[in-house]
Formats: sequence, C-alpha cells, structure tokens
Amino acid sequence: MTSVDAFMRAVAVRSFVCGFALTLGAGFAGASDNKIALIPGGPHPYFAPWEQAAADAKKAFGIAAVDFKVPTDSKLNLQTELIESLAAQGYKAFGIFPGDAVGINSTVTELKSNGIAAAALAGCTQDPTDVALCLGTDVYNSAYLGTKELIKAMGGKGNIVHLAGLLVDPNTTLRENAVQKAVDETKGAVKLIQTVADTDAQEAADQKINALLGSQKDQIDGMIATGYIPSVVASKSLRTLGDKRIKFVGIDDDKIVLDAIKDGFVAGTMAQNPYGQGYIGAYVLDLLASGTCTMKADAPWIKTPQTAHFIDSGTMVINQQNLTTYKDDLKKITADIQGKFKTTYMTCK
Amino acid sequence: MTEEAIGDVSVQRRRATIGGGPAQLGLFVILIGFWIFFSSLAPGFLSSFNLFNLGREVARDIVIGFAQMVVLATGGMNLAVGSIGVCAVMTAGTLMQTFALPVPLALAGALLLGALLGWLNGFAIVRSGVNSFVITLASANLFSGAMLILTRAVPLNALPPEVGAFGRLKLAGSVSPLLVIALVIGAALFVLYRYSTLGRRILAAGANPRAAAMSGVPVNRVIVISHTLSGLLAAVAGMMVVARLGAAMPAVGGEEWLLPSFLGPVLGGTLLSGGAVSVIGTVLGAALVTTLRSGLLVLQIGSYWLQLFLGLILLLAVLIDRYRGLYAERMRVVRSS
Amino acid sequence: MTVLRRLLLVEWSGLALAIAVGVVVLALISPNFLTEFNLYVMLRSFCVGLLVGFAQMVTLGVGQMNIAVGAIGGLVAIAFGGIMEKLGVPIILAVPVALLIGAGGGLINGLLTVRTGINGFIITLATASAFTGINFGITQSIPFYKMPAPLVAFGERHIGIFPYLLVAPLIVAAVLSLFFARTVPGRQLLAFGGNAQAAELSGIARGKVVVLAHVLSGTLAAIAAVLAVAQLGSAQPTIGADWLLLSFAAPIIGGAALTGGYISVLGTMFAVVLIALIENGLVLAKVDPYWVQFLLGALILAAVGLNRWRAVTAGAG
Repeated sequence: MTSVDAFMRAVAVRSFVCGFALTLGAGFAGASDNKIALIPGGPHPYFAPWEQAAADAKKAFGIAAVDFKVPTDSKLNLQTELIESLAAQGYKAFGIFPGDAVGINSTVTELKSNGIAAAALAGCTQDPTDVALCLGTDVYNSAYLGTKELIKAMGGKGNIVHLAGLLVDPNTTLRENAVQKAVDETKGAVKLIQTVADTDAQEAADQKINALLGSQKDQIDGMIATGYIPSVVASKSLRTLGDKRIKFVGIDDDKIVLDAIKDGFVAGTMAQNPYGQGYIGAYVLDLLASGTCTMKADAPWIKTPQTAHFIDSGTMVINQQNLTTYKDDLKKITADIQGKFKTTYMTCK
Repeated sequence: MTEEAIGDVSVQRRRATIGGGPAQLGLFVILIGFWIFFSSLAPGFLSSFNLFNLGREVARDIVIGFAQMVVLATGGMNLAVGSIGVCAVMTAGTLMQTFALPVPLALAGALLLGALLGWLNGFAIVRSGVNSFVITLASANLFSGAMLILTRAVPLNALPPEVGAFGRLKLAGSVSPLLVIALVIGAALFVLYRYSTLGRRILAAGANPRAAAMSGVPVNRVIVISHTLSGLLAAVAGMMVVARLGAAMPAVGGEEWLLPSFLGPVLGGTLLSGGAVSVIGTVLGAALVTTLRSGLLVLQIGSYWLQLFLGLILLLAVLIDRYRGLYAERMRVVRSS
Repeated sequence: MTVLRRLLLVEWSGLALAIAVGVVVLALISPNFLTEFNLYVMLRSFCVGLLVGFAQMVTLGVGQMNIAVGAIGGLVAIAFGGIMEKLGVPIILAVPVALLIGAGGGLINGLLTVRTGINGFIITLATASAFTGINFGITQSIPFYKMPAPLVAFGERHIGIFPYLLVAPLIVAAVLSLFFARTVPGRQLLAFGGNAQAAELSGIARGKVVVLAHVLSGTLAAIAAVLAVAQLGSAQPTIGADWLLLSFAAPIIGGAALTGGYISVLGTMFAVVLIALIENGLVLAKVDPYWVQFLLGALILAAVGLNRWRAVTAGAG
C-alpha cells in the first residue's frame, strides 16, 4: 500500500503546472527530524499548490517530512479523523485549513495537550482557539476590498448581488457583513439587492447563478463572489451571455476567471496566496515543533473579527493590469514574509 | 437470520429476528479479523489515543444508526435524522449559552425537542398517508430551514467547559463515555425489541401492516412512537457531537448523517423493508465501517485513493460474511442429513 | 366519467397542477420570468436532473436501489473529459466510451448483487465509494478544463427557449416509456419489481432482470454526466456529488413505489421540473437566503399534499 502511495504522490508532484521553485532556506541550522502535515479542508483545486509548497519547504528547510494529506471529502469529521490518525502516527505539527472555524477547535486543543503544534492556514479558527497562529487571507478584509473594487469598476453606483458560500460556514457571515459595510459606505449610491448563498458546489452554483442572470440580468449592475466555485461559474456565465456590462469581482485565480479577466468579461478577482500559506506554514510549524521557537505574544498581530492572532499571507486584486505579473508579486510577498518571519513573530533560542 | 435475496418474498425473511444470529457473529468475526490485520501492520492502531478517538466516532455512528433502525423496523425511513440532530444541537447550545441554563436542563430540552420533531414526522405520516420518504424529505428541509432562520447560522462556542471536558473524558485510558452511552442505549433497544410487547408490535407492524392491524396491533400509534424514538435518538447523537466539539454549530448533522444512518443497520442485518432489526448488527456494522476507515488512514493509504480502497474492502468484508453464512448453512444441511 | 374526474385519476396531475400554479405565481412576482432568456435558463437547468431521476427510476422499478448513481456520474464525467483533453479523442468517439463506462459500472453493480445475493444497497454503496475513489485518484480533485468547443457550444446553444441539451432527456423519456410499456424486457422488469416470486415462477430470470436494471441505471447516469460536462463546460470531479437525494426524490414524488413494480416516466419528469421550479423560484423571488431551505421543504410538502388531495378526491368521488 505504501509504495502505491509514494508512487501516486510522485506522479502528482511531477505533473504539477504551478512550479514555484523558491530556493530560500535562509540560514536554517541543519536538518530537522520533524514530520509535518498540511491538511486542506477537502479535495479542492484551491489547495493544489500546497502539494508543491510542501515539497519545496521540505527541501529548502531540511525537514524530515512535509506531507500534504487530503481528507476524502470536505467534511469536518473526516478531517478530524485524519488529523487524529496522523497524530497517532507521529506527526509533530499540523497546518490545517479549518473544516469549520469553530468545530476544529476541540481537535486543536487535544493536539496541544499532547504537545503537538497546530497552525491555521488559508483560513482562521474562531477565538478562543489553541492554534499558534493563523496565516491566511483575512476573510472579512478580502470581501470588503473586493466589494470596493467592484463599486469602483461600476463607477460608484448601481445594484449588486453577493454570491456567497455555505450558509452554515462562519466565514460566510463575515463576508456578508463585509460586503454590507462596503455598500453602506456609498451612502445609498450602491444597493445590495440580493444575496444568493450555498453557491459553493459546482452544480448548485451553475443552477442558481444562471437562474439569477436569467431573471434579473437587466436589474443587476455588479456581482461579487466570495467563493472559489461561484467565481468560476459566474465568469463562465458572463462569457456565455456575452455580457460586459455587468461588472464582476471574484476570488482566487482559477484559469477560467483569469481568461475572463483578460477578455474583459470580469473586472477582477481577489488573489490569495495558497503556495505561500503552505510554504511559510511548513517553515513555521517546523520551528514550533522542534521547540526552537515560540510565537511572540506581542508580535504585530492583526486583529480580525475571527481571531486576535492573524498574519496576512498577502492578498491583492488581480485585474487586467497585473494579470501577467501577479504571480511574481505573490512570490515576492511570500519570500518577504518568510524571510522576516522569525524576527518579527517569534522568540527563538 | 436468513439471507435477503433481492425481491425474494420468502416467509422466512419476514420473521422478526433480532441480534445474536449467525450473521451478526460473522460480522463480529470479520471485525476482529480486521482489527488484527490493521494492528499487525501498524501497531499505532491499538494505541490508546487511536482507540479513544475510534470509540468516539463509533459511538456517534452507532446512535445515528439506531435512529434510522427504529424507523426501518416499521418499514419506513427517516431522512430527517441529520436535520433533527442539528436542531437538537443548536437548541442545546442556545439554552446553555444564550439562556445560561444549567447543562442537564439544556440537554433535557434538546432531547425533548428531538422527540417532538420525531413525533411531528410520525403524526404527519399517519395522518396524511403519504409515505415516510417524502414526508421526512420535506420535514428535513423544514427543520433545518427553521434552525437557520432562528439561529442565523451563528455558531455557539462559549459553552460551559464541562461540556467539552466530558467529550474529552477518558475511562480506563482509552474508552470514551460516549461509547458507553451508545452501548447502554443499544442494550435498552435490544430489550425493547426482543422482550417487550411494544417491540414485538413494532416489528409486526413493519413486517405486515395489514396482518398486524387485523390482529389488534395499533399500527398508526406504533409508527408514531417509532418516529418519536428516532427523533430522540437523533438528538442524543447531536448531544454527543456537542460534547465532542465543545461547541454547538449549525454545520453538523444534516445530509452528512444520511448514509451512515443506513449503513450501520443494513450492514448489520436490519431489513430495509421492515419487520426485522438487529441491534447488535447495527453496532457491529457501524464499528466495521469506522474501523475500516481508521485502519486505512493508519496504513497511510494515499489520500485521494483511500475511498477506492474503502469501497473495495467493504465489498470484501460483506462478501466474506456472505460466503461464511452460505458455508455455515451448507454445513448445517449436511450435518442434519 | 367527467373530464375532471378523469384528470384527477391521472397519477401526476397533482404535480402538473402544482407546476402550473408555480409558473403563474413566479410570472406575477418577477417581470422577467417569461422572457425568452429566462425560460431557456429554466429549461436548461433540469436536463441533467431528468436523467438523474430516470437513472434511479429504473432501479426502483425492479425493487432495487442504486446508491452509486452519483459516483458513476462523476467517474464518467472525468473519464469523458480526460480522454478528450489528454488523449485527444474526438467527441464522436468519447460519448459512446462514456456510456460504455457507465454501463460497465452498472454491470458490476448488477452482477455483484445477483451473484453474491448481498443487498443491492450495500453493493452500490461500496462501489460508489470505489468509483469516487478512482475519480479523485485520477484527477487529484483538479478538473479537466479544455473541453472541445462543439461540446461546450452544445451545452449553451438554444433555439428560442429550447436548449439543445433538452433533446437528450426528451428522447430518453420517450424511449423509456416505450421500453416499460411495450417491450418484453421492460415489462418483465416491472413484473419482477411488483412481485418477485410470481415473476420467477412465470419464468422471468431474476439475474437477467436485476442486471438489466443496473446496466440501464449506469448508462442513464453516464448520459447525465456527459450533459453535465457540456453544461458546465469542464469535466469536474464533483459532478454527481449532489445527485443521490434528487435521484430518489424525483421518481418517488412522481409516484414510483419504493418497493418496486410501479414507476412513472411522466411523474418523474414532473417531479424534477417541480423541484427545479421551486429552486429557481427561490432565487427569482429574492428570498432571504436563510429562508430558502425552509421554504423548499414547505413547498415540497405543499406539492405532495396537493397530489395526495387529488388521489383522495379521485378515490372517494
């Protein structure tokens, strides 16, 4: 079984298109024998760069193992089962995308009581929490900035619709609030006429977004999507409609979204930094697991509605202007954060 | 317990048998077999940490399986198991956190709500005459929907610490009290179906409603009772999840519980057509699937391929069980001739 | 017998009435409901759903269940997309291959059920897990994006309000109606579902019938998957993930018996249309997202209640 596993992983790593080959490794003091695991929420293209990031971090920082382990489905109990099993198998630290911002906390507490470090990556856990840190995109801020970008593209006035993710996801509530805040700041010039939720599954999104466009496309001037899948589906729908009047801002850099930006159907998308989250996450977890370093209590944390221990992994707007250069910009941000991380956020022996 | 060839309406199948028959023994043997297999390949499988977590997972799946089993007994289904579960979860959380009620009172409130929702299902089914599949499909959406409207999907994570502490409690180093609770419930259900009049009536109504009605079984009342019990059990499972997570979240339960709720009972020998249940079988069935999943994880099967192996091994397990049963049958015939 | 009485006796007339009511209400609420574009979007949205409903309907007909309907769909979708993108297979060859894979999956399900005597529920549950595993193992959750332009165009083009996609489920519906009403295997299938013992005594081979039902189910799931890929414009590994509940709900609301022996092609179609109408309507009516699920349940209950009232009235009158 294990040789099949290794073979599969080798095949997957090699077949990876996004080859960020950061060769930092600034001043690591030799190999560590820690086993680190990066655990996404489930099988989802967003986390694909984590696999490469894990391999690169392993090489660059001389970590014994940095493994990318995917729960079989995007369900919280499958994620916790996986984490618990890996903990029993000797993994010393976990970088976790919380399957649920609240639900994962009890598992994290159990890990901590067993001396295992955990960090929230790409998404935060809700305070009170025992994660050492959260390195990701500020969900609230990203939705806020995205909506402001949309309003700008719309010329400051019009009706917008918010395409949101799962209603039972605490992140969704944050995003709704952020969109509302940006809309409120226009003092009535822009109106949020509808929020369509539960669009984070492919077929549901296709049905709902097309229904929306079918029935109201003349009343809508802009759309903001705060989920990966609705961003992709909306980009495709606007292209099919041949519509360049409705302005759209999405999230993440799926190829379909980027092509739509290039051809003028989509105004922009909020980039996250999945590679950086995985790469830097592994680096930090290794330091924590070895006991070499601990997080500084008075580090320049950012306080978000979710947590008081947030570090921004870099978020930016991708639009027609920086379409070809955004990947390099993100690489620079990753290198920057990683290089300064120890001195800024940690106390080390 | 006899085999169920599909579409085979043999009289034997209709006899109400409950637990302890040769099929359940086979399941038990297979379960032990897999335990031996997994622990020999990966000693970590038997570590107290792993056993503890396994126990908690199994406890929940067992109770969810019971919630479905008591309705399957009447020949119906309850698609609202997960929905009632999450309603109970959010009720308990609200009572504990927003209204600051003491924990036992909040638990009682949640269990009562579960029973009430189950009762609503049963009532709707017997009054309207519409089959339980459709009624509980609609009510699942109604209940979950009402929960969303009332709670606005806000998770409650400031519960009294005793709740999470109970979920983390370890008896004898590796057993969770949740598992003990699940087994105690199982024992109660076993007594219900094997030794009590009510249990016999439920099975009779499920096996052949017309015949049962003619021999004086209050079929409608029995159906309502079964659904009420189902709702209560779903609420218990919800409470286990709250203890496990130390929080009340709207994201638990729901459609996620549907397949596991059928899997335990059906693997264990409960008939989908009604009239026969196996309490022990449900426990073993739930344990088998959780064991397989946990074992595959411990063996470090590649993440993306794990589902494939789970399916294949599950197939293998039921095949072994089936052929063992046929073999035993054949031996019995040979010996008796 | 009066016309009204005759209408009431028809199984699915309650559903048809509910649909009519729904259309009227939505047309009143939203001015854009009756525009050509919106009607096209609506018709497009239930093409895949119709086939998913049919896929489960045929297994329910023999008293079986196919829990693997979504898993087969997902596997066929990525296989279909994969061979076109990675191996350059032309559409005209890829479609039959996709259908063969679906039929093959169904064959495995059917043979295992018949040969081992194990409940089809468990067999298809296990194979569902296996098929999904193969799906994710191959794709690593990354979709195949480069679908041939003619396929994507097929998924989008329309004549007036009728999407090209609709052709498939309509043809399938006609074929299935004929199959179950007029052909020997079809009628044997239903006879077996209705009373297995009597059917076997009159010479219908259980093995043949069960395997046939599963093969049909797998093939129909494959057709649904091909349409889904055309509709989405990419081969997503998550295709089929949400099919299970709908696959049961549609035939059963449409009047099929869970125990087998009775199915209704038209009933299944109306049920799918009704559910799609409700879901679309909730978006159209700008319903507060927190109310969507509640109203979905209430409307399903109302529709079923209407149908039940019809049945009772027809029977009592």
